[in-house]
Amino acid sequence: MNEHGKILIIGSGIAGMSCAVRCAELGLHVQMVSPYPSERSQSVMASGGINAVLGLPGEDDTIASHIEDTLKGGSYLGGEKAVTGLCESASDIIAWLEKIGTVFSRDSSGTVSRRAFGGQSHKRTCYCGAATGKQIVTALVMECREMEVKGLVERLTGRHFYSALIEDGKCYGALLFNQNTNTLETVYANALIMATGGQNALFGKTTGSTLCDGYAIGQLFRQGAELKNLEFIQFHPTTLETSQKKMMITEAVRGEGGRLFYELDGKRIWFMEDKYGPNGNLMTRDIVAREISAAPSQVYLDISFLDPDIIDTRLSEVRDLCAKYRNIDIKKEPIPVTPSVHFFMGGLAVHMNHETNIRNLFAIGECASMYHGANRLGGNSLLSAIHSARITAEALSECSFPDTVPDFSAYTEAQKKKLTSFTNTESNFPVSYIRDMTAEIMQKHMGIIRDDDSLNKGLEEIDYCMKISSHLKFDSSVNTYLNYSMESILILAKATLLAARARCESRGAHWRSDFPDTDPSQQYADIISYDNGAYSIRLDREHEYES
Amino acid sequence: MNMKVKILRKKNPGSESYWETFAYNGPENNSIAGVLDYLNYHDDPVNVQGKVSDRITWECSCLQGECGACAMVINGVPALACETFLRDLKGSEIVLQPLRKFPVVCDLAVDRSSMQENLKKTNAYIGDYIPSPGEDHTHQYNAAKCLKCGLCLEVCPNYVNGNTFYGAAFANDCYLIYARNKDKAGDIRKVYGEHFAAGCSKSLSCVDVCPVGIPTLASMAKLNR
Ligand SMILES: Cc1cc2nc3c(=O)[nH]c(=O)nc-3n(C[C@H](O)[C@H](O)[C@H](O)COP(=O)(O)OP(=O)(O)OC[C@H]3O[C@@H](n4cnc5c(N)ncnc54)[C@H](O)[C@@H]3O)c2cc1C
Repeated sequence: MNEHGKILIIGSGIAGMSCAVRCAELGLHVQMVSPYPSERSQSVMASGGINAVLGLPGEDDTIASHIEDTLKGGSYLGGEKAVTGLCESASDIIAWLEKIGTVFSRDSSGTVSRRAFGGQSHKRTCYCGAATGKQIVTALVMECREMEVKGLVERLTGRHFYSALIEDGKCYGALLFNQNTNTLETVYANALIMATGGQNALFGKTTGSTLCDGYAIGQLFRQGAELKNLEFIQFHPTTLETSQKKMMITEAVRGEGGRLFYELDGKRIWFMEDKYGPNGNLMTRDIVAREISAAPSQVYLDISFLDPDIIDTRLSEVRDLCAKYRNIDIKKEPIPVTPSVHFFMGGLAVHMNHETNIRNLFAIGECASMYHGANRLGGNSLLSAIHSARITAEALSECSFPDTVPDFSAYTEAQKKKLTSFTNTESNFPVSYIRDMTAEIMQKHMGIIRDDDSLNKGLEEIDYCMKISSHLKFDSSVNTYLNYSMESILILAKATLLAARARCESRGAHWRSDFPDTDPSQQYADIISYDNGAYSIRLDREHEYES
Repeated sequence: MNMKVKILRKKNPGSESYWETFAYNGPENNSIAGVLDYLNYHDDPVNVQGKVSDRITWECSCLQGECGACAMVINGVPALACETFLRDLKGSEIVLQPLRKFPVVCDLAVDRSSMQENLKKTNAYIGDYIPSPGEDHTHQYNAAKCLKCGLCLEVCPNYVNGNTFYGAAFANDCYLIYARNKDKAGDIRKVYGEHFAAGCSKSLSCVDVCPVGIPTLASMAKLNR
């Protein structure tokens, strides 16, 4: 038996780094893989904050209330035991982030500042100015660096995940694609931890990073890992569209009195106020997103009537973003807004210790599905990224690992040959067209409002893409990763559509116009698995993933 | 909009660099990042000689000035491609080059790992935060915003990749460590002295180019005190 396990982490955002640090503190040896350094991860984009009940004297907020808000926000699909653990650990996590040097904003008494965030009964979102994710990443990079200097963490950049080494339901490491040498590398490990973030590439333009493409979880799905709750995708209601992405316009604009309207026959229709009353613009994310997407023409968010000094002091980031990217002066004109894919509640199905159905394969952060149920509360995802990382590290520190590994040389040689023979072919058909087609199909059929007909159409179209893709030769005009990742991304897209079609009810972020009610008999997570081209979906009625 | 985009390209680290020019007929409100995507994906990239070419390699992640991936040299000026707009550029030709202070990986993508390596070599990490009276949280917050994009090193007259002068990104991390953990103040000022103060000729071009506006001069003042 090997006391000092070797851990391989894929992804170096907040989840990956938190796990690397905790594993190293617990005496495990870590290799952490990502194509680029942590400063490029989506985690740096998180702005609003991270939730925690700090338990300070005189505070009326309670952990029980954080638990209830989280469960309710997730339409009671987030496991109660898991959510309890998450909320109970939150104040320790904030204390740890402070200890490692995160520069939090502070109130006049020196306490970490907290703000109100949607769906929460109390002000409990701790923040660092307007760049909470970035400030946490900076502190974590420093902490990881300490572990690197001590020889406990090794960073492998310039590499992408290719596949896992799995035999008889157990994982022994991964094959990595080295983008500098264009070769596959075999890395054995006692445990493989996925921390690859969300699945943005399925939808093309989103609020997040282009590096989060879902390939890794699509590939693991093909290799037998189960996925959970894929249909639950959070749309941010108000984003500003550019030719390349959709930039989040914070809810603070509506908080400061911002009003939504569209124009009909030259008249402004204040549709949220008309339907929901004077506070209509402050309805929850899913309702606002649905109403905007149902509007007959371009929707605008107007804040131009506000005192310009208030715009300068409280909404300066929105002012600058609109001016810089779209030349819009928000003091004079309304902001054209559109909803956008923002967060994935679904991902790899994990047990309480964050292990998947494959032994020694774990998942943490946004690529794992655990705490957020049918919808996530703002500020809970950074919390769950760190909490899941710590749970995993602690579970691993209690394992003893076998010294022997099965012989994977036949598998690795076969994969190397497969990749080489693929790269030796030549195609004139750009793989990026398939990526774009996938995003178009998903935007159209997996949007905010879904129904059986449209989902079936989406499935037909994805099947068509899969057919083309299976005949595709190598597109040498782009890098190898973009080529080999396509097939698994398509399989993930199909699994997502199937999950949405199977859930014949509306719940949380999943809205079916043909089943507009919530059906209590479906108050379970759904699990999808894959076997040689066959997809099977079931509801987790026995709560097998809550153990 | 009709523009020429002239790009200094390189297929891999070992090959020769060459110029290639493309015609751009896309939207005029695009950023340079948008121009690159347009050239790559609007249609097959065809150069001005009418020859179909490889798609242009460049790095991106957030596409909104928060991750530093897309730093490059645009018309001779180092900047983030996602934050540089056609409307602000003069002339009918745009010239794009990779950052010149780092080894080129492919086209406009460079290897900036030396920035991380230099910090590692000098034990540049906070360890445990020790609160102290009168801390300048605003400046600490600003220093911690560093994107590690490399633009400050690109413009620095003193920075040469591989040499012992590590540049402004290093100095700001030193400041953050110094400010957050006074137990490390002595050690960190020593490496700061060796790898920054001794080599900085105070051109301060790093301050002007920083996409997140880090006041490096203030970091220097605090560390030199
Ligand atoms: C605009 C915006 C604002 C947000 N604001 C908040 C907020 O205020 N509060 C909050 O709680 N949450 C917020 N979120 C969500 C939050 O940012 C994410 O959920 C969280 O950062 C995810 O962290 P992660 O470590 O799981 O993944 P990421 O930070 O996305 O990191 C993923 C890592 O995996 C790597 N990777 C991906 N694929 C591969 C592969 N194939 N091979 C190797 N490596 C790979 C990436 O390069 C990266 O290093 C926001 C999100 C966005 C987009």
